[in-house]
Amino acid sequence: MIDERVYEMFRDIGRDMYEHNLISSHGGNISVRFGDRILIKRRGAMLGRLKPHDIIETGLEKNDSGVALASTELIVHRAIYKATPALAVVHAHVRRAVALSLSRDEIVPIDNEGSYLLKKVPVVSVEFASGTKQMAETIADALKSYKIVMLRGHGSFSTGQTLDEAFQWTDALEEACEIIMYAKQLNEEMIEYRRMSDSYTKW
Amino acid sequence: MNGWLGKTLIVDLTTGSITHEPLNMELARQFIGGRGLGARLLWDLVGPDVEPLSPDNVIIIATGPMTATGFQTSNRFSVSMKSPLTGTVLDANSGGTWGMRFKRTGYDVMIIKGRASHPVYIEIKKGEAAIHDATHLWGMTVPEVSEHLGQDTNHRNVMCIGPAGEKLVRFAAIMNDLTRAAARGGPGAVMGSKNLKAVVVEGDIKVEFDNKEQFRFVQYEATKMLKANPITSQALPEFGTAVMMNLVNGIGALPTRNFQTSYFEQAEDISGEAITEQILVKNDACWACPIACTRVTKTSRREGEGPEYESAWSFGADCGISDLEAIAEANYLCNDLGLDTISAGSTIACAMELVEKGLIDSDLRFGRADLLCKTVGDIAYRRDLGDELAEGSARLAAKYGAPELSMSVKSLEMPAYDARGMQGQGLLFATSNRGGCHMRGNMLGLEVLGLPKLIDRFQVQGKASFVILHQNSASVADSLVACKFASNAVSDEYFARALSALTGVEYSTGDLIRTGERIWNMERIYNIREGFSREDDTLPPRLLTEPAAGGSAGEVSHLAPMLNEYYRGRGWDENGVPTVKKLKELGLEGMLQ
Repeated sequence: MIDERVYEMFRDIGRDMYEHNLISSHGGNISVRFGDRILIKRRGAMLGRLKPHDIIETGLEKNDSGVALASTELIVHRAIYKATPALAVVHAHVRRAVALSLSRDEIVPIDNEGSYLLKKVPVVSVEFASGTKQMAETIADALKSYKIVMLRGHGSFSTGQTLDEAFQWTDALEEACEIIMYAKQLNEEMIEYRRMSDSYTKW
Repeated sequence: MNGWLGKTLIVDLTTGSITHEPLNMELARQFIGGRGLGARLLWDLVGPDVEPLSPDNVIIIATGPMTATGFQTSNRFSVSMKSPLTGTVLDANSGGTWGMRFKRTGYDVMIIKGRASHPVYIEIKKGEAAIHDATHLWGMTVPEVSEHLGQDTNHRNVMCIGPAGEKLVRFAAIMNDLTRAAARGGPGAVMGSKNLKAVVVEGDIKVEFDNKEQFRFVQYEATKMLKANPITSQALPEFGTAVMMNLVNGIGALPTRNFQTSYFEQAEDISGEAITEQILVKNDACWACPIACTRVTKTSRREGEGPEYESAWSFGADCGISDLEAIAEANYLCNDLGLDTISAGSTIACAMELVEKGLIDSDLRFGRADLLCKTVGDIAYRRDLGDELAEGSARLAAKYGAPELSMSVKSLEMPAYDARGMQGQGLLFATSNRGGCHMRGNMLGLEVLGLPKLIDRFQVQGKASFVILHQNSASVADSLVACKFASNAVSDEYFARALSALTGVEYSTGDLIRTGERIWNMERIYNIREGFSREDDTLPPRLLTEPAAGGSAGEVSHLAPMLNEYYRGRGWDENGVPTVKKLKELGLEGMLQ
């Protein structure tokens, strides 16, 4: 039986992701780790309209009947939890970040908030970019050292102690990408305001 | 070598031999330093047949790779041994300047064995150690012996015990730089049992860096975090740790009168705000710490340091006392005599309840501020009833036939958070490897302060995962050796990057937390070898059955379901024993038969 407070957390973050344009109607997925169990969004459920029965419980290591209902990306979420200290994972199809991921191997924010929170977001590539073992391993490995990473052409995966925290990195990335695009459109020389800014690429 | 210096000093007080050997770098990489390395070394050196106050116990003084690098809040040292209070694995760490100076003598670790035939002190200068007679120092208070041995913050630093350590009070502290303390679990008593009064250090050897530029960049980014976070940039500097008093009381989680209730009606009188307004002289800071939470204070009778939140609570709310001057002076006296303020106050509170229930014949009742300092002195010198209190609340309450009145876990008195108002904190206390302690991970951030995000403090489901993560994280901090207050603003990721840049050994955030898990399991199997089991992972019955008050009215701790979830989440069996699979994962296979 899932605690009502846990459901409310899923519902609120899912709705916020949709309202912030971080996902399309059926895109994205979110999960939390409770010890050796995972609670994850139901496959095909709309993050913006989650009901209590849309939160599926299954094992972190072992399969059970829950896997028949869980998100397609369960394999990725499991790999992340096994490789990192994450207690929550947010996956979103962040539009601007996806656009930037098509032309660069890392996204380095230029705004203050993005620099402060994220420093640098690596972009990784896999041949089959949906629910595959290769994708799971690549993303989990990248998340050992970064709290959010981009899968080229697909979307972001972020981790946190709570869904709230993982959502924050996702939204911060999208905002940083929007600012990068605005600055690019202006096509003016940037006046650097950050000390040691060259070091962000080494983060 | 980068970060670590690569040398261990070994002093045998029985034989007088002083040797040194290379630091075991494989163990250093696996356990980092400080608490982690201490626990691993203790496993080999002190088995279950060793009485904590016998010459066969050891004192392991360990710095971490970050010590003496100047990285914010990360220049502490740790002491490890078997605890005379709990019988568990013990480590306690301390700030000030001593840890930095000790490392600059050229050693990462010092192991002190045996027992001297008479009082002695150890002096380390220019990498050379010597044992000197300390007969003339025996009986001195901490300020007296520190002055006598030439305490000078900028050059020569003294670590010592006071009379409480000499008298083997089971919660005696090791003090350094006059007022800094490694206090919990009675390390001062172990030092006293060895006839060791002090360790004096002088040194100027510098730590080397693998990538100093990257290290300084991480440090710069961490500084931004500390400055931007209102806990580390405003609340702690302005009000000290006692800023928590009104917040915790406000949610009904401030243990009051030996945890009989969870709301203290006079909390404002002993709060951080009251300390700042009434007795604060100035702030002080440990070496390379920008937070400066230390309170230098002055009452109408004398000047001293403190009280911290836990001390203001233990002598205040827990004893039903709101006289701030009496509380501050009890704290000063603990510093002078070398006592753990949490266990001292909480044991006095236990005695007060025993008196009020008619089990002890004494005037020591709740609210008796006038008896506070006298009682602290009686404990340190083991006078009268103080001799019984010096054994700690668990032994005291058991002696008078009311063991349930000791507010302790594994015989270590719990600090200033009521498990009924913070479910995760209760689980954390119950499972702590050194007993009831808030420094083994702390749910304060998540359950009260919203760091990194606020979670429901009454929620039970899922709480174990947070506790496990924070216990693992705290194990790392204690091994670096870093102050927990930095964690309010600076996440593990920063420490992983700083440690990698410093040592050249690549630690991802995940690697670092996995190291913390290894340390936690190392300590767990040490305690299992000592005979501890699931039945010791519990809370005083009062917290499980008697409802809380104030903002947590009607609540009790729901420990049982959280504990089951906790064991599963840790990969332990239902009795709380790490599985063979888990130990293998952590590189600890074969250690527990």
